[in-house]
Amino acid sequence: MWEWWRKNKPLILGGILLLMALLWYSVNLRQQDETNPMESLVLRVTGPVQAVLERVISGVADTWGHYLSLVNTVEDNRRLIEENRSLLTMLTQSDEVRLENARLRLLLDFKEAQEIDTLPARVIAEDASSWFRTVMIDKGREHGVVEGMPVVVAEGVVGRVVRSSPRFSRVLLITDASSAIASLLQGNRARGVCRGQGEQLVFDFVLRQEEVKVGDRVVTSGMGGVFPKGLVVGNVKDVDRQEFGLFQAIEVAPSVDFSHLEEVLVLLRGPQ
Amino acid sequence: MNRTLIYLAMAGMAIILQTVLLPLVLPGDSKPDLLLILVIYLGLHESPWRGGLLVYLLGWCYDGMAGAFPGLNGFILLGIFLAVRGIVTRVNTESSPLLLLLVTAGTVLQSSLVAFALDFFSQTASIWPQMVWHLPTQLLLNFMAALVLLRFTVWLQRTFVPRGNLPGLRKLDSRYES
Repeated sequence: MWEWWRKNKPLILGGILLLMALLWYSVNLRQQDETNPMESLVLRVTGPVQAVLERVISGVADTWGHYLSLVNTVEDNRRLIEENRSLLTMLTQSDEVRLENARLRLLLDFKEAQEIDTLPARVIAEDASSWFRTVMIDKGREHGVVEGMPVVVAEGVVGRVVRSSPRFSRVLLITDASSAIASLLQGNRARGVCRGQGEQLVFDFVLRQEEVKVGDRVVTSGMGGVFPKGLVVGNVKDVDRQEFGLFQAIEVAPSVDFSHLEEVLVLLRGPQ
Repeated sequence: MNRTLIYLAMAGMAIILQTVLLPLVLPGDSKPDLLLILVIYLGLHESPWRGGLLVYLLGWCYDGMAGAFPGLNGFILLGIFLAVRGIVTRVNTESSPLLLLLVTAGTVLQSSLVAFALDFFSQTASIWPQMVWHLPTQLLLNFMAALVLLRFTVWLQRTFVPRGNLPGLRKLDSRYES
């Protein structure tokens, strides 16, 4: 017996450790919607570094982009004099300002149209893993942001806050596999649930007899208690009305371009 | 203690790189998992208790920056660490290609554990289709990252601390392979 124990001790202890870790994860699923002290600490420590790095990298990327466009311009327009080149530089720089202006104006118009108080925030980091879809924003509990608050942009729904520390928060994007939004088709009011699937969404639980067409707009139904009613989720991309079963298989393309997410609005209301 | 702090600093750098720099450089949502490479390295060169505790702690830190499931990454990284520890006496840990092979196998194990933990324990939609679709890209990215890190770290050691004895690095230097 002692010999057997000595021989298999590492395997047994390793198995017990792994099982304990699995049990701990399973127990923690009940507190999934709360930020634990460890996560808060990580957000507090890494947040400022990420915010500074994001600014520096964006600055370098902008400068590099301007430099590249300058090189191209010189190649394409060899005969242009120095004055034209410097004017072009200024134009390129003002283009960036104009684009940012347009984005912020769109966000501002949307903010003014909202009845709920909103808080603008900047996206400073993405999820560390390839398997999940979250982003980090530069607003936290000190600014009134708590877990469960919806996050939007002018084009539609972005996600909801899942973790918050005093100055930073993490937002679960609607494209994450663990995200589900009570939604409806704007045209015929058919209800369902939009679930994340990486780059796109699936619209589940829409009955087979409902008339659904490609291009139909999907909006939040307000039933889930997180998102207010009527926010745009996306447009129907593909419909498969299966021969058997109760429901249709519907793919939805999100209305928000998550690869170019820079500024967002947090709707300052808790889950209802 | 110093070594533990170095590992923690490396993990912090890996997380910052994965969340800020790499998403800007790489197209799409995939990025190399540098923490996975560190965990495999720890599995090859650290004792089960010290390494196991450190890896579990790293997993909890990782949870603060990845996904929305507290304890998930602790379980996954500990699983990978224990799997490496399980084979470490049966393989030649002084071979650098072994590290690359383990990173590849670790990526597959990691995605399997994520899918298992989410599909069986949480209420999320099945993540398998997404995983299968992204796995080849992830394998390639992790392999390339491990290769670059291996070469870069060995070069750093040769250049700046030629007489130094950083744990495991001399063993991974190709000059010591036959």
